[in-house]
Amino acid sequence: MSGMKTPVSVLRLPRGPEPNSRGFDPTSPRFIALCPTTLPSSSSSSGSADEEEQRLRAELRERFLRTLLLMTGKRVRFDMHEHVRVHARFGASDIDVLNLQVCDLETPLGVQREALLRSQDVIACSFEV
Amino acid sequence: MAMRQTPLTCSGHTRPVVDLAFSGITPYGYFLISACKDGKPMLRQGDTGDWIGTFLGHKGAVWGATLNKEATKAATAAADFTAKVWDAVTGDEVLTLAHKHIVKSVNFTEDSTCLLTGGNDKVLRIYDLGKPEAEPLEIAGHTSAIKKALWCNNDQQILSAADDRTVRLWDKNTKEAVKTLAFDASVSSMEYIPDGEILVITYGRTIAFYNANSLDLIKAVDAPASIHSASLHPEKDFFVAGGDDFKLYKYDYTTKEEMESYKGHFGPIHCVRFSPDGELYASGSEDGTLRLWQTAVGKTYGLWKCVLPEELSSENSEVLYCPPAEIKA
Repeated sequence: MSGMKTPVSVLRLPRGPEPNSRGFDPTSPRFIALCPTTLPSSSSSSGSADEEEQRLRAELRERFLRTLLLMTGKRVRFDMHEHVRVHARFGASDIDVLNLQVCDLETPLGVQREALLRSQDVIACSFEV
Repeated sequence: MAMRQTPLTCSGHTRPVVDLAFSGITPYGYFLISACKDGKPMLRQGDTGDWIGTFLGHKGAVWGATLNKEATKAATAAADFTAKVWDAVTGDEVLTLAHKHIVKSVNFTEDSTCLLTGGNDKVLRIYDLGKPEAEPLEIAGHTSAIKKALWCNNDQQILSAADDRTVRLWDKNTKEAVKTLAFDASVSSMEYIPDGEILVITYGRTIAFYNANSLDLIKAVDAPASIHSASLHPEKDFFVAGGDDFKLYKYDYTTKEEMESYKGHFGPIHCVRFSPDGELYASGSEDGTLRLWQTAVGKTYGLWKCVLPEELSSENSEVLYCPPAEIKA
């Protein structure tokens, strides 16, 4: 008998997680209402402080990107989690800096010709300029 | 016209979902948090299951998760020996509370100023969130890992369930056990209903209801399979339970009769909870999914739409998705 029942219709399925974001949309009504904004608001009193913050952010970002450029082709020391320290020749990073392409990665198991390091595993990198 | 339940599946977790909790009803609706062995607890809109965000930071399986009433704060308990407090609006980690072993349970007081934790080191801890650097108040007594710890009686008392097969009621101020319930089997879950002071406990195949003040038994029901979690409807007319046989059971609380059972999950059900408005209940399973189920099947609510027979074939129908008829096994 139950096989003849009509299933309840749904408008759509629940939305799943976004692949590249942790969510908590800052443009959602709840976020806007409950959180103090860090982005420029329309009031002039906070305008200059926000502009300064934006300028500093832009400067730091540019420094970071130039560092990546400078690192290209150089032998870099990567300090990673669990007290791992490896050396490799740095190639490039992907657009979101999620992965770092390296060659001749020196590991306790031998030298890996080509490898990808996960950025989230890397604590620091150092190299001779 | 009788309708067949269409559960809404919330995907995103990659490992078993072991705990879930609803917030209270806020001006922005109500919310749902899920604890998962993949270490990434998620926040969802309670009435639709839409993902809002993932709390990133834990380095091990998350065993317990909770929201405060206003859904502004979240707390999680994990296998990385920490409990964390989060801003549930921004998703930022606010506090990390180091423990000496796996943390299994977290619970806010009504005013969200204190957090109760319990876990494998067998000690209950009360943290003052206004003074996070201060040492927590500790209550010892359980002889095995604590599975669940809840505030009760206006946050003056604490209920705890442990692998030592006891449920204990503690006075927060004297730190003494006021009452103890002993069972023949491990308690699998516990739910406290402040309105009416009812405690829902599951063990073996039994779903039992106790008076939360006296710990006197009100009634007990045996299910067809081992039950891992149960929840009582806010109006206390139904309760739902799920466990080892992957099915969700719905019972009439007054008559104790089984009303319906629903298949859908592909693994044992670990947790089930009614929403604060009682319109739906959520289940978390070993299969890595959360599913939302309607209390009143066929009612228009959230993403479910009541469609009259003539609308189904109409060209003007706004319904985008009608689940195909399932083949009965």
